[in-house]
Amino acid sequence: MNMNIAVASIDKDMGTLHKRTQSGRWSLGEFSWIWVATAGLFLLSAIVAPGTVTKGSLFAMLPFAGILAIVATGQTVVIQQRGLDMSSAGMVSLAGVLAAIFGYRSDSMVLSVLAATGICAFIGVINGVLIARAHITPLVATLAMNAALIGVVRDLTGNAPVSMPENIQEFSHADLGGLPYSLWLAVLFIFIVAIVTRRTVLGRRFVAVGVNPRTSIAAGINALRYQIGAYLVSAVCFAVAGILLAGYIGNASHTAGNDYLLPAIAAVVVGGTPFTGGRGSVVASGVAALFMAQLSQMVLALGAGSAVQLLVQAAAILLATTIRLAPALIHSR
Amino acid sequence: MGPGSELLLKLDGVSKFFPGVKALDSVCFDVLAGEVHGLVGENGAGKSTLMGVASGALIADEGRVEIAGREMRGDPELARNLGLAIVRQEPALMPDLTVAENLYLGVPERCRPTIAMSVGWATQLLRTWSDDVPIDAYDRVASLAPGQRFIIEIVKALASEPRVLVLDEPTEHLLAEDVERLFARIKNATGKGVAVAYISHRIREVQKIAERLTILRDGKSQGTYNARAMDEQHIVELIVGRELDREFPPKAGVVRSNPAVLEVKELHGPGFSDISMEVRQSEIVGLAGIDGNGQREFIRALASITKRRGLVRVNSRDLDRDNLAAASQAGIRYLPGDRHQEGILAELSVRENFSLRSLKQDVFGGLLSRRNEAERAQQSIWAYTVKTPSIETPICALSGGNQQKLVLASVLASEPKVLLVDEPTQGVDVGARMEIYRILRETAARGAAIVVVSSDGQELAGLCDRVLIFSRGHIVKELSGSDVVEHNITTAILTSTTVRERAPAQTANFWRWAAGDTAPAVTLALSVILLGIYASFVNEFYLSARNMSGILPLIATLAIVAYGQQLLMLAGGIDLSVGPLMGLILVAQSFLLVSDASPSHQAIGWALVILIAVVVGLLNWLLADPIGLHPMVATLVTFMLLQAVSLLLRPVPGGIIADDVMESVGYQIGFVPVAILGAIALGLALEHGLFRRSWGLILRGFGSRPEAARVAGVRPRLVLVSAYVGCSVLAGIASIPMMAQIGTGDPNAGIGYTLASLAAVVIGGASLFGGRGSFVGALLGATLITQVNVVTAFLGLTDAWQSYLLGGMILVSVAFYSKSRQMAVAK
Repeated sequence: MNMNIAVASIDKDMGTLHKRTQSGRWSLGEFSWIWVATAGLFLLSAIVAPGTVTKGSLFAMLPFAGILAIVATGQTVVIQQRGLDMSSAGMVSLAGVLAAIFGYRSDSMVLSVLAATGICAFIGVINGVLIARAHITPLVATLAMNAALIGVVRDLTGNAPVSMPENIQEFSHADLGGLPYSLWLAVLFIFIVAIVTRRTVLGRRFVAVGVNPRTSIAAGINALRYQIGAYLVSAVCFAVAGILLAGYIGNASHTAGNDYLLPAIAAVVVGGTPFTGGRGSVVASGVAALFMAQLSQMVLALGAGSAVQLLVQAAAILLATTIRLAPALIHSR
Repeated sequence: MGPGSELLLKLDGVSKFFPGVKALDSVCFDVLAGEVHGLVGENGAGKSTLMGVASGALIADEGRVEIAGREMRGDPELARNLGLAIVRQEPALMPDLTVAENLYLGVPERCRPTIAMSVGWATQLLRTWSDDVPIDAYDRVASLAPGQRFIIEIVKALASEPRVLVLDEPTEHLLAEDVERLFARIKNATGKGVAVAYISHRIREVQKIAERLTILRDGKSQGTYNARAMDEQHIVELIVGRELDREFPPKAGVVRSNPAVLEVKELHGPGFSDISMEVRQSEIVGLAGIDGNGQREFIRALASITKRRGLVRVNSRDLDRDNLAAASQAGIRYLPGDRHQEGILAELSVRENFSLRSLKQDVFGGLLSRRNEAERAQQSIWAYTVKTPSIETPICALSGGNQQKLVLASVLASEPKVLLVDEPTQGVDVGARMEIYRILRETAARGAAIVVVSSDGQELAGLCDRVLIFSRGHIVKELSGSDVVEHNITTAILTSTTVRERAPAQTANFWRWAAGDTAPAVTLALSVILLGIYASFVNEFYLSARNMSGILPLIATLAIVAYGQQLLMLAGGIDLSVGPLMGLILVAQSFLLVSDASPSHQAIGWALVILIAVVVGLLNWLLADPIGLHPMVATLVTFMLLQAVSLLLRPVPGGIIADDVMESVGYQIGFVPVAILGAIALGLALEHGLFRRSWGLILRGFGSRPEAARVAGVRPRLVLVSAYVGCSVLAGIASIPMMAQIGTGDPNAGIGYTLASLAAVVIGGASLFGGRGSFVGALLGATLITQVNVVTAFLGLTDAWQSYLLGGMILVSVAFYSKSRQMAVAK
């Protein structure tokens, strides 16, 4: 094998920060910006708000970053199939509530978590069928599903938060090797999805369907299965995030998921996964989730309220998207 | 036509290059006033490219174009103004608009009637085509059969009173009687001094209608001749080329004794029926015929891309299931003809495109070996001489021929037993063609059975051991052995009868109605009324004046913001920022319209409503159109920005809006608030504009198919900026009745309106892809949503029911609309 191939075959997503552009110059790849930006952000935090990079402060931020990263992972998978899953809000809430209800009935944390996740996965399949089979626009189908899920949660909870079983709370607060479980789970999810999409037949076909469903069908791939599968994967991600979140806060409610809908989409956008399908990186989305969480922390530590946080987040999205478009915009002149 | 006739269209030494291909090579072509000049040649000879250059859609790389004596260079607008009208192979029509609306937008402004008259005018135009034309001016173009769309395209071109008329394969989809009508119209036009360029690959037709004809082959002109003085034989020779331009690999010779690899018995499917054939080991069988006669549909069904009935056997084993997995399993592989749509994964690398069809070969221990994959890809691009800088180059950066070779290499890497090839060398330069022929023949020699569909007779003759001729979905002739020569193939194709029959397909009346613009309104109005009646039976207070005066302002607010969403969605956009925008305006008012505010403060306050809205609309447009962000991302950014500004101004709700302002905004006549009357009036006015004013037609036309609208002279940027600003301004107006309900500067008051407005327009019948929707529908959608939210309390249902009903309404309505619109589209 010659040198060219060796260079080219280094995994551009997980390994190196650089890839060779067509002109032969070295420049940042589209999914690598976020690493640099996140490193820069922590550096900046250490200078302007040293309080946010202490152990205690990081520990307060990381569980939420982990949960956001898991939701963003699910959203990335769907966006890779040119979709969008607006039912994440309802799904996150529902999973927490279901885990609580099953938890009290069964005493087994594993069973209750599996049952809650399984139900969400089934709902995800319904989403997928509505979108891929009945050709309802993803936005509309998942919005409607979201409304229905919120209804279910309200029915189950009677509009009042339900407290979570002790064992799930303990699990959510536990840490391993000094890092919270939610972070480990986020890393695990991202790792699995990244390995599957990059290194397995299933994942490669999944990417192909996202890039061009018609080419995939002509190549003998059952595109429908992958399109529906995306919503199943996202539902599982949302469910796990929802259970972790409820465990961490200590209770589950019908509003719990609202805080993870738009921020997760924002994380995907900041990470660099385009809405046009196919290409995408769950690793970048995960790092972007960390970026967004730390950004909030830093802004908060600097004494600004939620308004400035929003402002800064909007600026981050704008910067992230225009930086990637800049070369194209300049070339089109 | 005399010697003094004016030269109306002149193409002089025109050359056009596409990546890797010289599509036109210094071609000269001119048309005189009152003359029909035919342009003939095979598919891919460059006829459509030449007319694209003539109409300004393409810019020539060399040479000049003159229309009526004026030079024109890649400017469709100028070409149209100089009097050029073109009937394209793909009619440039907007599917969601009616026939009358398409005709109205399709002709130059000077030829247009008033909109009120347009239906009568369109009916008149259709009558000039034929007295019993089965097309109604009210028909939506999406519901027309391909042939009928062509009639509209032709009628449109004639109605624009052209000086130069270009017809590109106009008879392909026409019935025999319509071909006669077309010829009569052409004669009529030339009688009035119109210059007609007539492109076709049907020689007899061209000889019948044209005075002169020019023959094009591989982008080069083979000369211009007197059409009637030439015999058909001679023309065919010129089209095909006398000398053998291409060298083909030697054929297999004896394959008759080889075992059959592919056997097909009595196969039926869309576009073909009762096909039985077999392909033997190492045999290449060609399928020939004019496009649309079933040959392409047949191999797609064999590849399980479309459905089929009948028996398929591979190596003596029946395919028991008709799905992609079973076809793959049996070793059936398909090389698509439409490379860009079906062959490549444009953004992915050469390596990923190569391995797509044979990934399993790289799996070791459950994971793909990147190293193995790269090695295979590298070896393959060497073996098939694919020219690429590296295997990591995106495939879209390669020339057409190299892309095609790579896709072929990818298909072959999956070791096909049966290889189905659609147009193996379309858009491929001569050098690569030879290699593709060699590769196909080698593959056959290794034992595969190959089926090739091609519109190039020479290719079939050179490549295939046997050729089957398709006509109207049946195999009508088989050529084998020494009979497989181009002349026989071309003759068989051109002489097979290709008269089309009128399709009796008519959509059931119910679905036609359901797909119309009134169906959503009628259904929603009925739902609102029935729900109201039911609720008032259960609880008599439901219809009380007090309850109504509470509900109606809520409806007014939601309806007006939904109008905004609808306006933008008609152009294919979406605005998530409407909710926060309403909140921001409310917050701004809570500083300016307070009880001790001076009149000038108040005036500023009202002016600010519009100003803020316009600025936000422009910002959304800027991000979405010139900068090119996805509309969802663009308006999500604005969503966050606006919410941030609101929260900065009012971290907590505060500032009481003056009583007199509240009173005038919330003024009621009896129990009816003025706001709802305003909202209804606004909705009706917008609805009137949408269907009865040219801005409405332009907006719907653009949303329906931007490219067709652009061809009709619509300026995309103007439409989009108006739609974004209009959407924001309507959201701004909606914040006024909201002010009367909230009464204080609450930064979060508007947020819920983003999703509610989307739900209202979707329930009201809007399509998220643009082109379809109605303001009355949005009003009724807003009414139903508000009503459902209130009614649950009256019916003693839990809050959860609000959510169930909302979700259910969205799904049921969208499923109903999309089903009905699907049913009403011509098959």
